[in-house]
Amino acid sequence: MTQILDAEVLAIITLTLRMTILSTAISSVIGVPLGLWLDRASFAGKRLVVMINRTLMASPPVVVGLVVYLILMRNGPLGFLRLLFTFEAMVIAQVLLITPIVCGIVYTASQRSSERIRVFALTMGADKRQTRSLQIKELSNEIFFAVITGYGRAMSEVGAIMIVGGNIRHHTRTMTTTLSLLRNRGEIEQAVFLGAILMLIAFSVQMIADFLRKRERRADENF
Amino acid sequence: MKISNLHKSYGKFSLQVEDLSLPAGEIYGIIGPNGCGKTTLMKAIAGLLEPDSGHIDYNGLTPRDITMVFRKQYLIHDTVLHNLVYPLKIRGIKPDEELVKRYLDIAGLWESREEYAPGLSSGQQQKLTLVRALIFSPGLVLIDEAFSNLDMESAATFEQLILEKQRSSPATYIICAHQLSHIQRLCGYILFMHSGRIETQGPASQMLTQPENSKLKSYLQYASLKEGVTD
Repeated sequence: MTQILDAEVLAIITLTLRMTILSTAISSVIGVPLGLWLDRASFAGKRLVVMINRTLMASPPVVVGLVVYLILMRNGPLGFLRLLFTFEAMVIAQVLLITPIVCGIVYTASQRSSERIRVFALTMGADKRQTRSLQIKELSNEIFFAVITGYGRAMSEVGAIMIVGGNIRHHTRTMTTTLSLLRNRGEIEQAVFLGAILMLIAFSVQMIADFLRKRERRADENF
Repeated sequence: MKISNLHKSYGKFSLQVEDLSLPAGEIYGIIGPNGCGKTTLMKAIAGLLEPDSGHIDYNGLTPRDITMVFRKQYLIHDTVLHNLVYPLKIRGIKPDEELVKRYLDIAGLWESREEYAPGLSSGQQQKLTLVRALIFSPGLVLIDEAFSNLDMESAATFEQLILEKQRSSPATYIICAHQLSHIQRLCGYILFMHSGRIETQGPASQMLTQPENSKLKSYLQYASLKEGVTD
C-alpha cells in the first residue's frame, strides 16, 4: 500500500469519525425533541412545516452544500466567521442534512404510537413528566433507528462536504471525498480498500450502538 | 360522583347526560346496544375525553385515583413484570413481591413474568391489563368490555378479585359488558344507555328481571346471555 493508505488514511478516518459523530449528535439533540414536539404541538401551518421537513429529508446534498457555501462564503451573511473550507463548515452542512431525517422519522413514529401511550399513561395516573418519559422509552427503538439512519447519511455523504470543505489534504479530506478523489484518479484498488474500511466502521458503529442499547435496557430492569 | 349536563358530539352522534349521581363504593354496570355512547361516557368520566360542556364532580378523587381498562389496552414494550408494576413505580411504591406474585398468579402469568408482554396471547394480555389496573387499588375503576377476551373460568376469577377487593377496600367500579352474566354477578346498579342518553337506571335485580322500559326490554330480549339472568 502506498503512503496515503498508511499515515494519511488514519487522519482521514479520524476526521471522518469526528465529523460524522459530532454532526449526528447535534442533529439528534435537535431532531429528536423537534420530532416529538411536532407531533404534540397544534398550530396553524403545522402541515406545511411537516411538508417542508419531508422535502428537506430528501434534499440533494449538493444543494445543501451550495446553500451553506453561499452563507459562509466571504461575501455571504456569515462570511465574517471564516468557516468556509473548515471542519466546522462540514459539520454545519451535515447537521442541515441529517436533522430533518432524524426529526421526520421520530415525528412519524410518535404520530403512530404517542397517542396510545398517552392514553395508557393517563389511565395509569401518570403525570406529564412520567407520560413524556414513557413515550420516549416506548419510542426508543424508533429514536435509535432515526439516529442510526442519520449517522448512515453522515457517513455516506460526499456532495455537501466536498463543496463546503473543499477536500483539502490534511485539513478537510474525509473518507468519502478521498474515495471520490481516488476514483477520479483511477486508483480503484485503493478506493475499494477505503470503501471496505468505511463499511467496516459503519458496521462497528452499529454494533457499539446496539451493545449500548442492550446494556441500558439491562440496567433499567432493576425495578 | 356527580355528572351534570355532560355533552359530547362526534359527527352525528351526541352524548347527553343531564344529571347523574353515582355514590362511591358501588359497582355500576352500563349496558346498551353498540354505538349508544357507553365508551364515550366512560372515557369522559376517566378524563380521557374533553366534553363539549358539562361538569363531573369526582368527590375528591384525583386523576391518579382513576383507571380505565379497555378491551385492547396498550402494553409497555417490556416484560410482564414491568407492565404489572408500572402503576406502582410511577407512584413511588416499591412493589411487594408477595403482592406481585398474587396478582400474577390470578392472571396465570407468574411463570411468564419475564416474557415480553406484547408477545402474549390476547387473552393473557387482557388478564395482564386487568391485574395491572387493580394492583394499585384505584378509587375509581372503569372497565370497558375488558372481559370479552377471557374464557369463563378466567372471567369468574376476575369477578372474584373485584368482589374481594370491593370488600377489603371499597372503590367505585363502572363496568361495561355485553355479556349480561358479568353485569348480573358484579353490579348492584345498572345504567341502560340508548342513543347517547341514559334511558333508564336502577338496581340490577329490578332492571334485569323486571324491566319496564321498552327499549331495555327489547335490548335484554336480544342480549346474548339473557338466559343467564334469573328471576
